[in-house]
Amino acid sequence: MTRSNSTNKLVALLAALTMVAAACGGGDSEGSEGSTSGSTSGVNVSGSSTVEPIAIRVAEDFKTVDGDVKTQVSGPGTGDGFKLFCEGGTDISNASRTIKDSEAENCKENGINYVELKVAVDGIAVMTNPANTAVECLSFADLYALVGPESAGFETWAAGNEIAADAGGDAGLPDAPLVISAPGTESGTYDSFVEIVLEGIAEERGEEPDARIDYSSAADDNVIIETLATNDTSFGWVGFAFAVENADRVKLIDVKDADGNCVTPTPETIASNEYPIARDLFIYVNTGSAANNEGLVAFVDHFMDFGLDTAVAEAGYVPLTDEAKAATRAAWTGR
Amino acid sequence: MALTTPGEIAANAAKRKARPTPRVELSELRRKNDVAGTVFKGLLLGGIFVTFLILIVLLVQVVRDGSNVLTGRLGDFLSSGLGSSPEISGIAQALRGTFYVTLITALVAFPLGIASALYLEEYAPKSRLTNFINLNIRNLAGVPSVVYGILGLTIFVNGWGIRSITGGRTPIAAGLTLAALVLPIVIITATEALRGVPRALREAGYGVGATKSEVIKDHVLPYAAPGILTGTLLSIARAAGEAAPLILIGATTGFLSDIPGWGDVTQAREPFTALPIIIASWARQPQEGFKVDNAAAAIVVLVVFVLLVNAAAIFMRNRFERKRAGL
Repeated sequence: MTRSNSTNKLVALLAALTMVAAACGGGDSEGSEGSTSGSTSGVNVSGSSTVEPIAIRVAEDFKTVDGDVKTQVSGPGTGDGFKLFCEGGTDISNASRTIKDSEAENCKENGINYVELKVAVDGIAVMTNPANTAVECLSFADLYALVGPESAGFETWAAGNEIAADAGGDAGLPDAPLVISAPGTESGTYDSFVEIVLEGIAEERGEEPDARIDYSSAADDNVIIETLATNDTSFGWVGFAFAVENADRVKLIDVKDADGNCVTPTPETIASNEYPIARDLFIYVNTGSAANNEGLVAFVDHFMDFGLDTAVAEAGYVPLTDEAKAATRAAWTGR
Repeated sequence: MALTTPGEIAANAAKRKARPTPRVELSELRRKNDVAGTVFKGLLLGGIFVTFLILIVLLVQVVRDGSNVLTGRLGDFLSSGLGSSPEISGIAQALRGTFYVTLITALVAFPLGIASALYLEEYAPKSRLTNFINLNIRNLAGVPSVVYGILGLTIFVNGWGIRSITGGRTPIAAGLTLAALVLPIVIITATEALRGVPRALREAGYGVGATKSEVIKDHVLPYAAPGILTGTLLSIARAAGEAAPLILIGATTGFLSDIPGWGDVTQAREPFTALPIIIASWARQPQEGFKVDNAAAAIVVLVVFVLLVNAAAIFMRNRFERKRAGL
């Protein structure tokens, strides 16, 4: 008697759970169209993890201005972001570089039109361990000699001296083990570093514009910082904002500008373009979504005011100059 | 064999247990200088010591890192959503996400898994095909979780037609994916539990003229219930801590404006985030407040969540076992 009772209870429980599941599945099918292509009322932001903190700050503040618009922000990376964006999956794509031709092509094929808005400037810091006192300032030629495509297999800094001299550098690299940790090829920070630092020299020397393949790449910037902080003569690069947060654990190396002056990365030298490794940060807005989504327009409007003026600095990045801000706002209103 | 009721079987088992075991006498016969035996025992003890040490170090480290948040602003941490700075960020949405994903996983994996196990064990003919299916289920249990994430992304997030049910990157899609992940384990543990049902119990049922389905419903299932429940709940608790499939499904990592009520079931079809995702996302932030304090506090909450599910498993097993013993 007790047995059949407990079985009945079990069966009843299962039946109840199944009905709840069915109700969950079928109950709200009328709201389904929204999430398939961007969204009709919400704002879906994805893309660069570097730009993510700015977008989070804007979304957070936007909630106090317009609480009815649902927003979501993710940061899988610039490349992954554009993939989603060009499939119509997101409304805004954050990017730490400009869109590539292949990605733009993909957008075009899917009928996605967009506007590119420059929102901030970020330096790329080249770093070593604080114990590595032999290295204070490096030129682009030195950097090329350390991590360029011809340097695969180099196990000491000094091994790069020949290439550095050949490419017009000082060739004063110390005879110490070289441990490199830097972002991987999926990262916008990698692309920017290659484009700004390596590409020019690589083309002159008839090489492919890529970094050497035999360094330890990490998707997590904390892993890079950790590697640099635990190896005395290590070398690597991350975004400036990230490096500054860890200034007590790693040493930021000065970089020589075109005139041969050593420039220390600071918010001022990055904003004034004196520090030579700086890149622009962007957001790409789906103009088709903006045409029939007032929430998205309000969100980007907020990005143009609060975002450019306040959120960029609060997230640790270098704000645009006043002219550049005006240009970005004009690009948005003239979309 | 005479007709035996399940109550008597249990009573007999208890009687057998009550009989003094001969182990005491054997240990007295043990040789005095068994060096190899002592070394072996020491190795075993070392094994459990290392395992335990790892667990303790992990827990101590996490609780210490998270103590600022856990003692300073626990209520705030549990009730606020994602934000731009560590001091105001919380896990409200992640808790709801993990709860709904786990619930959906259980709702799907539990009935499907038990039904499959019952069919395979009770009805399926002993053929090559059955063996082949059994072998495959065992292989599936060893497939890495990230592979299930790709499956979930292809079918439950982007799948033509299915998308209109799941709503894309939602707890439903995630729950279905994790259900697929734990199904093989549920089927295997349920099968083992069904195999453990004594033959005499079934024969007793048939002996009094019960049909096959009656025997299964009234005798086999109740007897196997504790084993099935424990295995199922343990595997579902495991699924609650999975990050890799959810990353592929596209759980939100940065910000969500909405904090729905706990009872609001429509959030099962909305953008979501989950505890493992938030932990991974916070751990790669530059700020100490995110990567140390908040991440550790979220880990403690996730561990407590998993422990609660495990405790539920133990509680239900004991309950069913008491019922089985006819108490």
